Amino acid sequence: MATTTLAPRARTYDRSRVYEWLTTTDHKKIGVLYISTAFLMFLVGGVYALLIRSELAIPGLQFLEFETYNQIFTLHGTVMIFLFVMPMWTGLANYIVPLQVGAADMAFPRINALSYWMIPLGALLLFSGYGLGGAANAGWTGYAPLSAREGIGIDLWVASLVLLGTSSILGAINFIATIFKMRAPGLTLMRMPLFVWNTLVTSVLLLFAVPVLTAGLVMLFIDRNYGGGFFDPALGGNPILWQHIFWFFGHPEVYILILPAFGVVSEVLPVFSRKPLFGYKAFVFATASIGALGFSVWAHHMFTTGAVYLPFFSFFTFLIAVPTGIKFFNWLATMWGGQIRLSTPMLFAMGFIALFLIGGLDGAFLAVVPFDFHVQDTYWVVSHLHYVLVAGSVFGIFAGLYYWFPKMFGRLLSEKLGKVHWALLFIGTNLAFFPQHLLGLDGMIRRIADYAPNPGWTELNFLSTVGAFMIGASTLVFMWNVFVTMRTPADAPDDPWDANTLEWATTSPPPPYNFDALPPVRSERPLFDLKYGAVEPRAAAYPAAAGETHEETRADAPEEVLGEPVEGHRDEEGEDRPEATPQVSEEAPDARPRETRPTRDEIPPPPEERR
Amino acid sequence: MSAGSEVAQLPHAQEDPHGEVGHAEQGINTAMLGMLLFIGSEVMFFAGLFATYFNARSAAPQWPPEGMANIVTPDLFPIWIATITLVVSSFSMQLAVWRIRKGDRTGMNRALAVTLLLGAIFLGLQAYDYWHLLDHYGFGINSNIYGTLFYTMTGFHGAHVLGGVVGIAVILLRGMAGQFSARHHIAVEAVSVYWHFVDVVWIALFFVLYYLK
Amino acid sequence: MPLVGLRPLPSKVALLLLLPAALLLAACSGLPEGGLPVGNEHPPGFFPVAPATEQGERINSLYPVVFWIAVAVFVLVEGILLWIAFRYRRRRNADPDQLPAQTHGSNLLEIAWTAIPAIIVTYLFVATLDTLAFVENIEPEPQGVIIDVEGFQWQWTFRYPNEGLSFTGVGREGPAMGIPINESVRIRLHAQDVIHSFYVPQFLYKKDAVPGRVNEFDITLRQPGTYRGQCAEFCGLAHTDMYFTVLALERADYDVWVEESREQPDEETPPPDAHVIEVSTPDVNNFDPPDLTAPADTTIVFELSNTDPSSPHNIAIVGAMEDGSDWIGLPLADAGQTATYTAPALAAGEYEFFCSVHPTTMRGTLTVGN
Repeated sequence: MATTTLAPRARTYDRSRVYEWLTTTDHKKIGVLYISTAFLMFLVGGVYALLIRSELAIPGLQFLEFETYNQIFTLHGTVMIFLFVMPMWTGLANYIVPLQVGAADMAFPRINALSYWMIPLGALLLFSGYGLGGAANAGWTGYAPLSAREGIGIDLWVASLVLLGTSSILGAINFIATIFKMRAPGLTLMRMPLFVWNTLVTSVLLLFAVPVLTAGLVMLFIDRNYGGGFFDPALGGNPILWQHIFWFFGHPEVYILILPAFGVVSEVLPVFSRKPLFGYKAFVFATASIGALGFSVWAHHMFTTGAVYLPFFSFFTFLIAVPTGIKFFNWLATMWGGQIRLSTPMLFAMGFIALFLIGGLDGAFLAVVPFDFHVQDTYWVVSHLHYVLVAGSVFGIFAGLYYWFPKMFGRLLSEKLGKVHWALLFIGTNLAFFPQHLLGLDGMIRRIADYAPNPGWTELNFLSTVGAFMIGASTLVFMWNVFVTMRTPADAPDDPWDANTLEWATTSPPPPYNFDALPPVRSERPLFDLKYGAVEPRAAAYPAAAGETHEETRADAPEEVLGEPVEGHRDEEGEDRPEATPQVSEEAPDARPRETRPTRDEIPPPPEERR
Repeated sequence: MSAGSEVAQLPHAQEDPHGEVGHAEQGINTAMLGMLLFIGSEVMFFAGLFATYFNARSAAPQWPPEGMANIVTPDLFPIWIATITLVVSSFSMQLAVWRIRKGDRTGMNRALAVTLLLGAIFLGLQAYDYWHLLDHYGFGINSNIYGTLFYTMTGFHGAHVLGGVVGIAVILLRGMAGQFSARHHIAVEAVSVYWHFVDVVWIALFFVLYYLK
Repeated sequence: MPLVGLRPLPSKVALLLLLPAALLLAACSGLPEGGLPVGNEHPPGFFPVAPATEQGERINSLYPVVFWIAVAVFVLVEGILLWIAFRYRRRRNADPDQLPAQTHGSNLLEIAWTAIPAIIVTYLFVATLDTLAFVENIEPEPQGVIIDVEGFQWQWTFRYPNEGLSFTGVGREGPAMGIPINESVRIRLHAQDVIHSFYVPQFLYKKDAVPGRVNEFDITLRQPGTYRGQCAEFCGLAHTDMYFTVLALERADYDVWVEESREQPDEETPPPDAHVIEVSTPDVNNFDPPDLTAPADTTIVFELSNTDPSSPHNIAIVGAMEDGSDWIGLPLADAGQTATYTAPALAAGEYEFFCSVHPTTMRGTLTVGN
């Protein structure tokens, strides 16, 4: 077997399954751990959201006190961003990126495990505020000097974010090293799947943005506990400085949360349209320029502070609309003329395009500085950021989860329940967040527990609450779907979607070492090339010629197409290189992959046709 | 750009299956790449602190703030010694790398020991400086923004020096156990790069805190 | 305005959805005590609140430009998306071997959809700069009324340095700010403790009040009226309740308002047998002592010592007046000052007292008995 370079250990241990999961350094298991933790945090953050929306359903204070309310919206933001979306993307990337680049594992598997285990620890720190005198209550943005004055919850929040940030930095280093050093033969940078590209750009953003936040958090901690004066004007400090630091991190952070969703959508659309991505190079260019521009627009969160040079930041904010527009039109062109299967991943990807557009457009309004003066810190901003994060990140996450679920667990999620989930989420998102635009235009301030019964406000807020509960219900449907699916036998095919990229060239789920053999990579769609052969792609459009060509291809499909064996562990400098996959020896006999090259006959019909 | 033409243009995947980007150990070592990326993030951390320094400085009517001019900079002798110590330690660290590249384990161990000693001396001098400022002038982290910046920046740098000293100690112990050779010494290289980074940060700090008018 | 505001109840479906809300409202039998009166008569819609200022009018006329461009882009993209979803949907009996045309891209299209958005955003940027210059323009030497606004947790103080007036808000309503219309007024924002933000929706404008910094802007009101403003930047516990009111007045009315505001209430001399209670206010969360006692049917004199370095305080008693309204001790004691308040004699029973600057956090029980 080609993977013998992954030498078995001298002795093996009797490990329980729990011990196995607690000590694993396998990127797939760590990915699943990340995803499960992040989903748990999604539920926690969702409960916070429902509490907020329940309090705001009608005017007056019903069941939350100011202090409780302030803690809840602070933790809602912190949990959703740092403990749900970021770990979820890290988890998906953890599972998928090594597979998509044809590697056996991440570059630094043990650091990978370390990165994961910092997440639950960070969550523990964050929530421990409840037992120690009140959780953080200064908003997820923690503006100084308010955050320098409030209680111990803020200290724990600072500690938690430093830890989570360190985890992200280590994760980012790991991804960059994996992507640069461990790609399969032939997989040049310009043939990488878009999800890998987006993970790469995201990792670069993390690497350069998070340390700045860490510096700011450390300063805040010094101000709080050692009498420092960074943000205290009485000592010569500057409260605005916190905002500069926070948003210098915070704006790239927005792209950290959304770029992987762009990646997922760019993976899903071609597969379910049966066409290559339209304008691959334009996507790469747009992704990179969004990442770069992300560092030059931070002060557009600070237009009303009176302390920033407005035209500069307005200009760059407008400029970001251009690469984003390029992506939108290329996505549309990818689908144009295709054979579109409206399976659940595709529905989520198309829902992403439909709704993220709103988040992009109402964001462009905010670049109009005089208009921003009106709606800054109102529900317009709340609406904008939720259209970006729910309609953007969450739709992207679910597109990814439905798409890769069969790869991870060998089972296809139910299409029927998936569509119910999608419909509820789609309607709920619009119901919850669209009315908030109107409230913002009418001057409703964010982060308030109560509002005046102005004409129309009660109705719109109530609609928003109904939408929030629909989103909650949609999540229950998803959980039911996972529960039901996991009780069925793991019989999903290796390539259930007729997909293009390398992760579908191995078994579902993949063996610990991922690949026995890799197909040659000559384009960004190696598996497509393998399945549909070296057909001159345009010829395939003509049925008469296509059949013949395919026949020939299949007959000719030469053995060498199978490619060269994968070498798993070839670090010459071995001494610092952690063991890639120590469990191989135990599992190898059972988990030996099936024939990796799917032939035409094995390609299953799309799920819709299976019904 | 069609897939077909791509294949025709780029046949090397077949010609040289092992020579492709990313497969064989070409270019930079993976562990070294990781260290360089980590240093990149560290650069951003210190950039945040430096940006804060310049923000406070540009907003202040007078810099250093009134009454501070005679505190931090009257007697720079120990600071100069500390600076020279750290710069020399960078050279001794590099010497260790050059030694082991030639397979000279003893030479590497000696150079590492010297580096370790110099790093410890630097930390001692910094501790002395802190003690002096606190004891003679009552100049602390909570005095004003100047004190906060001074102690935070030098303190975090000191913490990084301490981290480097621990790293060098580990490398030295492993070196004494004979774990490195001309071929296998990536850990030495990585710690060396980190140590140079710490040195460069200090030179920037030294210039900014004590000499920039 | 090209579009009327969206009707809040567009259809029967919405009505059905709202039914539970109506029931809930009925169950609560109106708003809880201290509920806010309506502060904004303008129903929400796709366009901003009707502006009350010259600057706001400029912002308001810029908005539709952006709005209609956004609507056009929205319709275009969603239209194409829907078209694609219907037109290019894979047929059920489609031949699986038949691939669609494998188009990889088009430089011409890429250039088109790079250039066109670039032109649009450049236009928007220029329009933004134009309006911004007008809105942010301030006179070097303010000629008219100057108002110093100071935000603190969780109230506002409005000072008129030229008129010698000062108002600190009490209760949820907060202070009122009189502004003469059709005159350029300079507003200078200060903050004592944390960042606040001065926002009046009808101004279509807000600016932060930042500790250690003075933000200024000029504003010219057009329409007489009463507008409610609110702190827009989250500033801690009672941020929700940090309201104020702007009274836009004709010049003559404004002068009358200034004169009326100057008249100070007469100092009452407490009767000699009054019961004296000493109480201090160390911070925005507590009275010291937290609970008080007093004899029944005796005039009470509070000697309030405000030891809080950063905020004014006072003392008020719920329902202590004969008509059942709250008794409020005025004027406020500024930070570090003392004040003496004379409260009416009370019948035996338990009363709630509070600081009307911080009604949410500073509350205690006054036990009146023999």
